[in-house]
Amino acid sequence: MPQITLVEAINQALAYEMNADKNVVLLGEDIGKNGGVFRATQGLYDRFGPHRVCDTPLAESMIGGLAVGMAIMGLKPVAEFQFMGFSYPAVDQIINHASRIRNRTRGKMSCPVVFRTPYGCGIHAPEHHSESTEALFAHIPGLRVVIPSSPIRAYGLLLASIRNPDPVIFLEPARLYRYVKQEVPDDGKELPLDTCFTLRQGNDVSLIAWGAMIKETMAASNQLAQEGIEAEVIDVATVKPLDMDTILASVEKTGRCVIIHEAAKTGGIGADISAQIAEQALFSLKAPPVRVCGFDTIVPYARLEKYYLPSEQRIVDAVHHIMEGS
Amino acid sequence: MKIFYLPDLGEGLSEAEIREWYVKEGDTVKVDQSLLSVETAKAIVDVPSPYEGRIEKLHGKAHDIIKTHAPLVEFFSHDKGAIVGNLEESTQPFQEGAVVIGAPVSSIATVKALPAVRALAKQINVDLNTVTPTGPKGQITAEDVKQHGLTGSVLLKQGETLHGTRRTMAVTMTQAHEQVAQMTLMDDVDLGQVASDTDITVLILKAMVAGIQAEPSMNAWFDGKTCQRQLLTEINIGVAMDTSEGLFVPVLKKVNECSVMQLREKINSLKETVRSRTIVPSDMQNATIIFSNFGTISGKYASPMVIPPMVSILGCGRIHEAAVVRSGKVIASRVLPLSVSADHRAVTGGEVARFLAAVKKFLESAA
Amino acid sequence: MKIIERFEIPYYQYLNESSQLVDALPAFAKDVQLLQEMHRLMVLTRIFDQKLIALQRTGQLGTYPATRGQEAVFVGIGHAMDKQDIFVPYYRDIGALIQRGVPLTDILRFWGGDERGNCFASNTQNFPYSIPIASQLVYAAGAAAALKYQGKKQAVLCTCGDGATSQGDFYETINVAGIWRLPLVIVICNNRWAISVSREQQTAAKTLAQKAIAGGIAGEQVDGNDIIAVRERIQVALQKARDHQEASVLEMICYRHCDHTTADDASRYEQKEEREKEWLKEPIARLRRYLETIGSWTPSGEEALIAQCTQQVEQAVAEYVQYTDSPPTAMLDSLYDKLPKLYEDQRTLLEHLCHK
Repeated sequence: MPQITLVEAINQALAYEMNADKNVVLLGEDIGKNGGVFRATQGLYDRFGPHRVCDTPLAESMIGGLAVGMAIMGLKPVAEFQFMGFSYPAVDQIINHASRIRNRTRGKMSCPVVFRTPYGCGIHAPEHHSESTEALFAHIPGLRVVIPSSPIRAYGLLLASIRNPDPVIFLEPARLYRYVKQEVPDDGKELPLDTCFTLRQGNDVSLIAWGAMIKETMAASNQLAQEGIEAEVIDVATVKPLDMDTILASVEKTGRCVIIHEAAKTGGIGADISAQIAEQALFSLKAPPVRVCGFDTIVPYARLEKYYLPSEQRIVDAVHHIMEGS
Repeated sequence: MKIFYLPDLGEGLSEAEIREWYVKEGDTVKVDQSLLSVETAKAIVDVPSPYEGRIEKLHGKAHDIIKTHAPLVEFFSHDKGAIVGNLEESTQPFQEGAVVIGAPVSSIATVKALPAVRALAKQINVDLNTVTPTGPKGQITAEDVKQHGLTGSVLLKQGETLHGTRRTMAVTMTQAHEQVAQMTLMDDVDLGQVASDTDITVLILKAMVAGIQAEPSMNAWFDGKTCQRQLLTEINIGVAMDTSEGLFVPVLKKVNECSVMQLREKINSLKETVRSRTIVPSDMQNATIIFSNFGTISGKYASPMVIPPMVSILGCGRIHEAAVVRSGKVIASRVLPLSVSADHRAVTGGEVARFLAAVKKFLESAA
Repeated sequence: MKIIERFEIPYYQYLNESSQLVDALPAFAKDVQLLQEMHRLMVLTRIFDQKLIALQRTGQLGTYPATRGQEAVFVGIGHAMDKQDIFVPYYRDIGALIQRGVPLTDILRFWGGDERGNCFASNTQNFPYSIPIASQLVYAAGAAAALKYQGKKQAVLCTCGDGATSQGDFYETINVAGIWRLPLVIVICNNRWAISVSREQQTAAKTLAQKAIAGGIAGEQVDGNDIIAVRERIQVALQKARDHQEASVLEMICYRHCDHTTADDASRYEQKEEREKEWLKEPIARLRRYLETIGSWTPSGEEALIAQCTQQVEQAVAEYVQYTDSPPTAMLDSLYDKLPKLYEDQRTLLEHLCHK
């Protein structure tokens, strides 16, 4: 079986589901003939035609509203924002309508839409293409926020998101788009939402991360293993709603945790996870929960980008720090 | 990149197996040139190229099964596959071991104890792993740790918990010991001039009044926390009484205003109420200085304990016959040993000494 | 120099301010019973509207945006639409909703602060109220795109006020409606006020209808006080949308004979004389005078009509005041298809609040 990248896995999932369900419709800028600026929708226009792979005019609020209206009417739209930084004009439609329609009509109407977008920094792009504001959406009741970290999980989680009856914000870490390849069977099997994935087992410390930071976190866990520290690595995957059962089980086992995200520290999802761990697993902690995050700054341009991102070393240092005297 | 996807080879076939590549990466091909042969369920067919161009990548090797519409051949183009920025591609194979959905099954768990309890255990050197938890959900409580600390000790295998006056004494003396900066001054008093039928106890009490008049700082209350001192005009002397029930300290109020007879009556009355356990709380409060006549039992000198908020205590040893020197001659006389302690936080050495001198003078000149 | 494009904005009116016919009567308007029905619906709307205001003033209803003087626009919409067409309202549309299967009690419930007023259980073709200005236009376009994709011969009619035409969403909607050829009819209820901002202060465009030109679709003005014109033009627009996938913008010119909402006081910014002058054009009197001239209206008939509408409204109110609130747990029950595990203890907490 050929090995494919994360963005190719996205393409594979879209193709699978469009073939299986005639209600799945894609819309976004440059997704048709051009196949998407990262080629996420490559080949789909030729295969499914312009009525199902729709190049929209340049208007994100319109993309948001179109998708909401289509979803309410029974279609399963998968709308793309070219970058997370461009999703903001659609926030009105997402927060005021997509997240609320079910509640507003007491279940009579619902909004099974997927908004997918490349997100995160580290690709040396011009300003504004490096956003990591998943916490904004995670704060909104009624939404789900899903972030894959590998080709296999991108495939399975995207299928699950499209099939889910509620709106999903699907954030694709651009830095990982072509970083690794895996064999991803095109069997249409979804992976569960609202569930963490334990990527590595260990008894000394729980490393909790998502998105592109999984790369640095796994690297850190390998470095720590050479020092005799066995880290458990958890890929949160669905950052809203959180699977606290898995996170708490890990923390109760190890007694120590480091939460890693590239998003800015203040108001990031690390704060929510920290608070929940303090509320529910204080007795198990041998050390305070620690967050290793992006700084509370605008993501810098390419030259300073590498200082912004939590590095493998920062993660290792944080683990050393909490293991001292605990 | 321009990708050629495996086309539908007819009759809705869903996949095909690559038999043989006729081209390799880097080759330039023309439109309709055969790229490879594939085997479907029905036949072996050659697949022609839809484009002219240079081949960048072949998606699959011989014998791989490729699904219809899956990527097959990538043709070189100026397209970087990204509208901005640079997408890194790893050269390392992807290392990801077995992934568990959710939490792996584990029987290991850390002991459950709040951070404050963990700190306590560390402080008193208790290993949490050896403590039996009694808290909710299997938590180790602070009590559990302390209990473990206590039951772990070898001292009191058959100790009994103190109550009443003994307990009060244990608590009071612990506090006094922690707070007071104690100094003790001792001297002997020659009672040769004092008539033998004199009420010595009352005489000493009156001597204390004289001492306080000479040095009022010995009759005060001191609060170490706020660093405040209150000089008192009333002289209330607490008289330590040893009983079978323990130590009592009833208080003679306004000793400076009482006559000798009144004092004796009061002492007797307090003794009686103590003995019969009918003493009222007000008779045990507001002492400004304490008098301890341990000499009625035995002992000469002592370092009696100052009890806050008071700043001094006078202890009297056993009156005994001893050799004294008067006008250069050694004679036998009755001698009263005195030990006065004071709290050096509130009283200077000079003040204690002046007090003692005044007490001694009063006693020695009483006739 | 040459002129590349010109455009024209037509204005439609059949009954003028004095209720005289100024254009050939459309076919439907020759049906007297139909006209009387529309008259009844406008009277019902006005009486119900008045009652809703009164309920707010007596603490039995939340803030309510009245529709007084704009009855022709909404009754015309409701009457012209097919049952299968999709209606995307903003929030002044009770005149249309009551014709589209929405019980008066639902309307009372919604403005009374109960989400169950949005269920519109008996009619699946209505979208719920939309409070964020103009946002409903974009998802109306989405609904139209869905209908087109599904091959259905239905149209979407969405409404908005004059203020909404300044929003980006308005322009984005007309643009996509044009380029994607969506079966969409956009009706602007131009009641001349966006809270305190008059129509003249809203935009430099001479008409709101001409904004349609920017999206490549047709725009027209209609006398919003003339229900015959309203109904006729909407019917034409819907047909065009269904049959030819051509979208249009209809600017209904009427007047807001009330405060923006019950929380507003128009006397702070509106000239009394202006409202009095406009009242002479109001839609119910206009149709009534016409019916009178063709001998289809009597004072006793009017009395009976008012009594009947009043009774209908009172009955709905009597039912409304009997309703009990949803349990607090209702907050969580329609949030997701299945409430995620993470929120179960919040639900438990809400359950306890039930019993306090």
